[in-house]
Amino acid sequence: MMYSKEELFLAISTVIDPEVGFNLVEMGLIYDAECNDEGNAHVTMTLSTKACPMHQMIQQWVKESVEKMANINEVVVDVVWEPVWNITMADDNVKKALGGA
Amino acid sequence: MFSISQDFAPPFKLISPFFILGSLFYLLASVYIFFFTSDNFFIQDTKVLAFVHLFLLGFVMMVIFGAMAQLVPVVLEVGHAAVELFYVIWPLLSIGTILMVVGFLASPSLLPYGGTVVLISMMIFVMEIFSTMRNVKKMNLVMNSVLISNTFLFFGVIVGLTMALGYAGIIEVDIMALLRSHVYLVIGGYIIITLMGLSVVLLPMFGLSHGFSMKPLTISITLMSISVVMVVISSFVEYLLIEYIAYSLAVLSLFLYFYLVYTIFKTRARKEIDIYAVSLMYAYISMLVALVFGVSYLISGFEPLIIASAWLMFFGFFGFAVTGHMYKIIPFLVWFERFSPLVGKEKVPMLADMLPKRSSQAQLVFCVAGVTVITFAILLQDDTLIKAGASFLVVGALALVRNVFYMINYK
Repeated sequence: MMYSKEELFLAISTVIDPEVGFNLVEMGLIYDAECNDEGNAHVTMTLSTKACPMHQMIQQWVKESVEKMANINEVVVDVVWEPVWNITMADDNVKKALGGA
Repeated sequence: MFSISQDFAPPFKLISPFFILGSLFYLLASVYIFFFTSDNFFIQDTKVLAFVHLFLLGFVMMVIFGAMAQLVPVVLEVGHAAVELFYVIWPLLSIGTILMVVGFLASPSLLPYGGTVVLISMMIFVMEIFSTMRNVKKMNLVMNSVLISNTFLFFGVIVGLTMALGYAGIIEVDIMALLRSHVYLVIGGYIIITLMGLSVVLLPMFGLSHGFSMKPLTISITLMSISVVMVVISSFVEYLLIEYIAYSLAVLSLFLYFYLVYTIFKTRARKEIDIYAVSLMYAYISMLVALVFGVSYLISGFEPLIIASAWLMFFGFFGFAVTGHMYKIIPFLVWFERFSPLVGKEKVPMLADMLPKRSSQAQLVFCVAGVTVITFAILLQDDTLIKAGASFLVVGALALVRNVFYMINYK
């Protein structure tokens, strides 16, 4: 493994949702991330709603955030709808700030 | 899985005129209220007809059409068939609205011309939506609501033009019978069903709501659709029972819709009470009070109740539902066009940063005061209160126009 899941999540945490103001990792939108020895990364993520008009843009930002890491060869970002995202997947600070804690 | 590509998002210069003109028509409609007295408070008064067209065509429909240019790809999950057509919709709708308002106030001979121009603009809109829908692979409830509402709009506008020809004396028609069909097709069939469909997409998206049932929406749209069809039938068949069943179904539909909105509100993760949330709360409370007034009118026959009900439905429910969403949609479109290419390269604003905080609060407070005072003015038949309410509304409307320009020019 070139990068651990935590390292990849750290890179992706630079991507902020401009509507709510939190990064995608603390929102709980990034389900999984892995990178093999050849530098091929795969990210599995979701969005808070299927109707998100920034769908493709956010997907692109996630891709670019991983591509910035050294020696990365290729990044594939899959958006999935199962399991459906809900606020319990977010970090405590997000829940508290949004008022859902 | 689907995605909204950059190609699906229409350029902001195409949509911005809808919001600018919409806010200006809102201001005009607010100023117009100064010229009302309690003597005008009956449905067929030409001042009332002019005002209703100024507000509904110039503001409500204008902003809904602009918003649909952005929202159709989001809701239908396909790109527009011919989004460039929106460039001709707003000029035609503006000209048609002005001709109709002047026609009602001063020169009925202008009504067919105004009606025809409005008809052309709406037919272009409806045909663009229908063409776009042909690319939809699998219909869902919200997509069906778009199809149903635009079908009602199609017939509502044709009935409207027929009435305009009647007003001008070109053809002989029973205007009162057609009026009911026209009002129900356009307001119940198009505006309300559109708001119902869009709200289950937009309210959960902005409130991060999950786990609510869509069943009330299915029933609401079905009941409202049946109600609209029954009212249209009752325009041609003299049978009072059909009409009353239709009204009852519409009331039931709106109560169910209110319940749905309440469940979305209860299940939201985002508890923040911002300008959007407060606007929507006032909108839905207005709708609820309008329903209570409407039912009270059916029982008591007290005419000011139905006028107050219509006022709250228009300026309270439609007005605040539309202005509330303008504070979400305009910043998003400006951000999308101006700031999204800069993400990762330099610090970009959050969408909430693009709102003029104090000015948007002023708009809300003054408009709430205006709508509330005018409701009492209608119920009490008090001319002084009408002027007082109009004063609040005009200040609120000026703030709205200022806010629209602020958000559009945010750099």
